[in-house]
Amino acid sequence: MESFRTLIDALNAAPGDRLFVTAWVDEDEHEDLTFAEFRGRSRAQARFLSRQGIVTGDRVVILMPQNIAAMAAFVGAMMIGAVPAFLAYPNFKVEPSKYSGGLEGVTANLAARAVVIDDEFPDELLGHVQLRDGCKLLRAGNIAATDDAELFVCDIHGDNLAFIQHSAGTTGLQKGVALTHRAVLTQIRHLAQALRIDASADRIYSWLPLYHDMGLIACFMLPMICHVPVIMQSPLDWVMQPGTMLQVINDYQCTLAWLPNFAFQFVPRRTPRERSSNYSLASVRALINCSEPVRAASLNEFRQSFAALGLKPGALQSSYAMAENVFAVTQSDLTQPDGPPHLWADGQRFRAGHEAVPVAEGTPGALELVSSGRLLPKHQLRIVSEAGRALADGKVGEVLVRSDCLFQGYFHRPDLTADVLHDGWYHTGDLGFLLEGELYVVGRKKDLMIIGGENLYPQDIEEAASAHPAIHDGRMVAFGIYNANLGTEDIVVVGEVEREELLDNASQIESEIRGRIVAALGIAVRTIYLKPPRWIVKSTAGKPARSGTREKLLREHPELNAES
Amino acid sequence: MTPEAEQMKALIVELVRKPSLVIDEQTPLVSSGLIDSMALVDLLVKLEDITRMRIPPGKVQPKDMDTIALMFATAQRVGKPRK
Repeated sequence: MESFRTLIDALNAAPGDRLFVTAWVDEDEHEDLTFAEFRGRSRAQARFLSRQGIVTGDRVVILMPQNIAAMAAFVGAMMIGAVPAFLAYPNFKVEPSKYSGGLEGVTANLAARAVVIDDEFPDELLGHVQLRDGCKLLRAGNIAATDDAELFVCDIHGDNLAFIQHSAGTTGLQKGVALTHRAVLTQIRHLAQALRIDASADRIYSWLPLYHDMGLIACFMLPMICHVPVIMQSPLDWVMQPGTMLQVINDYQCTLAWLPNFAFQFVPRRTPRERSSNYSLASVRALINCSEPVRAASLNEFRQSFAALGLKPGALQSSYAMAENVFAVTQSDLTQPDGPPHLWADGQRFRAGHEAVPVAEGTPGALELVSSGRLLPKHQLRIVSEAGRALADGKVGEVLVRSDCLFQGYFHRPDLTADVLHDGWYHTGDLGFLLEGELYVVGRKKDLMIIGGENLYPQDIEEAASAHPAIHDGRMVAFGIYNANLGTEDIVVVGEVEREELLDNASQIESEIRGRIVAALGIAVRTIYLKPPRWIVKSTAGKPARSGTREKLLREHPELNAES
Repeated sequence: MTPEAEQMKALIVELVRKPSLVIDEQTPLVSSGLIDSMALVDLLVKLEDITRMRIPPGKVQPKDMDTIALMFATAQRVGKPRK
């Protein structure tokens, strides 16, 4: 990869006639843009923003459906030195008043100068959008391209902020990860080297949301900087018809894609065989499992289901990534003919001793663990105990990361930054172990839930649910339980009612709580349990204790374990 | 309820794992949190089978599947004859 000063320099160096992005809707409807055409669209957005008074350093929130206009608005903002951030487009399930609170909080924290929306932004939501003083609402859907290359020569440097990506999916606790041009270019250089990117031969497929690091960095910034075509599909379209992933890979001969773990089960289970058998996956170099703990069973299911489609045995790969490091920390070695190493570990010693002790493949009670790969160049990793002591190979502890592309801090949140950055080491909150240079990620130290590859904070769910009048003040606990059938976690909620007789009306209360959660966050919970007063386990400070309550619920409801 | 709508209702009751669930053609399913987006694909495949139509990708959104009545209206609107 060539050396560039900024992301815009990298875009400007791309061959104009090379295909950059295809926005795929179906076989009869897709929009294809070359790098030159994309530059033209982005410059038009840059000119529009500039005329609206946006200048270097201003934060600009992009709130648009996933399409080429949103990508051009993002790059257009960077062209004038502004700092864009994608936020999730409101989905129809979310109640307008709840949505506006989250948007207001995020824009206030970013001290955003503008929120850019598309022409079809729902009117019912518009009335609820409240922005702080000095923040403009701009519509920038259909702005015609411009070839005026000279108009937006902006003096930006490698150490200027390029953009902000958010590290969790819901609104209340979003943390903005501020990244410089240099950090993003450095990450992409390492990643492109590990993946042996070949701009003349590679094509990336993606259905991933652009407000998530995997979609933004791997499937937008990497192709833009390395001049690789990307074929994109809206996440909403994909989830309705997941088999379209096979169709697009087949039709465009895609070579690379990133997927969260659940997709490795979701696609084979939800694609009728008479459809999948029409496609070939022979073009694929790597489908990279990333953003949730990598599960052997999910990879095995995908491999077995699609071996007949020409999927190479070593095509299923893995990576460990986080927004705070721009993206990847580790990447499995693509030259290994069978993909990343699988490790069989003694189950008893793993659970009781927090130690991975290798045993023979197939040993009864053993766990099959999959490596997330090896460190990228200029990256360091430490596994530490609760007390902060470095642990030996095979011992499970918290994963600490240091690199030459690590973030400097959360935007405007020195308090949150101080919690996780110590002496240049980022404390990830993930649990894992190292063995023979391979990183195995096995869980989370923090309460964060990872549902379908997206991070969710239980506090957001608890807050939405505990406002119900039947629930005793604040006595609500949410957590994730792994569902082996889905390959990801399910959300389980347990709440304590105000008075025992309210349990006679449990079904209605449960349905109302479900409605409140979906209205606030747009997510469906799997199961809600209502319990009598004083049921929830409390901490010494008198607050609901999440892990204690979880254990109590699992003891009372073994069926939850049985399905995991 | 038509026999086709009854078939769809049976699948929904099975998916939410609540045999006692009472729903009709107008009951909100997605916006009420009963059905999550990862289950919509099952409803879409069933809808294609019941209506003997093909529903092109990109032409249907979760909001088009919020009630049984909307599902059949969506199939009518965007469905194409099966090849």
